[in-house]
Amino acid sequence: MSDIKSLPSADDPEQALAAVVALRVMAERLERKAVRKAIEQGWSWSQVAEALGVTKQAAHKRHAASIPKKKAVKKGDR
Amino acid sequence: MFNRTRLRFRDMKTIKMLIAGADEQAHGSGEDKPGAEHYLLSAFNLSDGSARRVFERSGADPDKFRDAIEEQYRDALSSVGIDDDAIDADAELITSTKVLHNSKPSGQAVMKALYALKQEDKDRPLLGAHVVAVVAGMEYGVAVRALRAMGVDQACLANAVREELESFHS
Repeated sequence: MSDIKSLPSADDPEQALAAVVALRVMAERLERKAVRKAIEQGWSWSQVAEALGVTKQAAHKRHAASIPKKKAVKKGDR
Repeated sequence: MFNRTRLRFRDMKTIKMLIAGADEQAHGSGEDKPGAEHYLLSAFNLSDGSARRVFERSGADPDKFRDAIEEQYRDALSSVGIDDDAIDADAELITSTKVLHNSKPSGQAVMKALYALKQEDKDRPLLGAHVVAVVAGMEYGVAVRALRAMGVDQACLANAVREELESFHS
């Protein structure tokens, strides 16, 4: 992997800030995908929350709407 | 007087469509709140057709804007050494149960600027071209970078907006 300390150049804040935004979007997409998979595999919302380092309520509020109900409630704790 | 009231009702309907469309575009991109780029995508779908015409006047294909958004994300990730293709982080459609609408700051900026623009342009209804005008006047952000990725010149886009609005007026 490239040296993240030197990329992008500190002289180009616009590029650096754009990279931050892109990383956030990528992280959000990864999070949604990972949470969906976890719930499909029978993880509880408490387990998902613990793994993400957030409260169960926060994890549920953020992701529950995007997860098909029959999968979410099968082994979930809500 | 009656005409102003009629225009105001029409604008309210347009704003409702614009916001609902922006939400839909954001959710389709796996994002829960719309940013300026999603408002522009929503403007392309407004029935007045003016946002699409402005792009076409500038020699740009509005249907390529969504791909340009992803392209600028890929470029930005590549600048920190991340190969987006190597990561399984494609956008997935998300569902929202939110009752109250909320936008990202760039989306809020679009709505504020649209309001100010409409205060100056009271004789025309709110059009998709107005949304393009707002985005064309932005300096930074995803929407601006996506326009650059498409090779669209913002000054040229702003001129095309003026032409479109003048032709609508006549």
